[in-house]
Amino acid sequence: MTKTAEQTELREAVALDRPWVTLVWDDPVNLMSYVAYVFRSYFGVTPEEAERLMLQVHHNGRAVVATGNRETMERHVEAMHGYGLWATLAKADE
Amino acid sequence: MSGPERFQLHESGAWLGRFDPIEIDLLRLASTQLVDMLDAGTADPDGAASDGVFGRLLPAAYRDDDEAAAEFRRFTAPGLLERKAQNARIVLNSLGTDSSDSTDSSDSSDSPDPADEAADPDEEGREPVTVRLDAEAVQAWLRSLTDLRLTLADRLQISPDGVVHLTGTNAAFLRELYEWLGMLQEELVYAIDV
Repeated sequence: MTKTAEQTELREAVALDRPWVTLVWDDPVNLMSYVAYVFRSYFGVTPEEAERLMLQVHHNGRAVVATGNRETMERHVEAMHGYGLWATLAKADE
Repeated sequence: MSGPERFQLHESGAWLGRFDPIEIDLLRLASTQLVDMLDAGTADPDGAASDGVFGRLLPAAYRDDDEAAAEFRRFTAPGLLERKAQNARIVLNSLGTDSSDSTDSSDSSDSPDPADEAADPDEEGREPVTVRLDAEAVQAWLRSLTDLRLTLADRLQISPDGVVHLTGTNAAFLRELYEWLGMLQEELVYAIDV
């Protein structure tokens, strides 16, 4: 293994450790009460936290609702799509 | 909503929802069309991709990576469409069979004839209907009401600021249905939200 390859591998390992996030975006359709309900029932957050995240979506256009590895974030996004929420995933620093 | 709450918790743990017959008819009509649309999307994914409503029911999971978004869709779309269709079928099942329809109501390939709906006299003479929802049905209803509203929002050409752009003879009816489905969903969320 060459030194360059080692460095590449190291960079990839670091990249894998970089957390990903699940984002939920504002849309004109979903009701605020329903969005807060989804956050509470799916992510198990407190009613206060669900309300805070929902308002963040509403006022800022989006909110980070979960952080973790890519696989887990893809699972969350799929679940959000099941609920009809507009969700995406991205690297945490994007 | 005024008067008694639509959804009441029964001692069995199920929720009982009280509906006017015309509301049942509307929900059945809308859910039947949703099942047909979702099944068509499952049968012909490429055709579905050109229909904007699928773009909202199955939004891109990656905003800046088309390749990753396409792969995510390839893996998740079949299951999501199947579950959405299943939710709509659970809604239809909880509405019961259509007693006002003299033909075989199990034949879902027959689309409802709008002329029949319009020919119906005012529904005031018919008794309210009680719909029974167990925990699984409540979840299916919440999700399917969302899918119905997302679909109607696409048909109504609702822009991100919430403005309806569809005009024409259907717009008023679709908009009323859209608003009513939202009210119904909110009633259900508040009922189960303890």
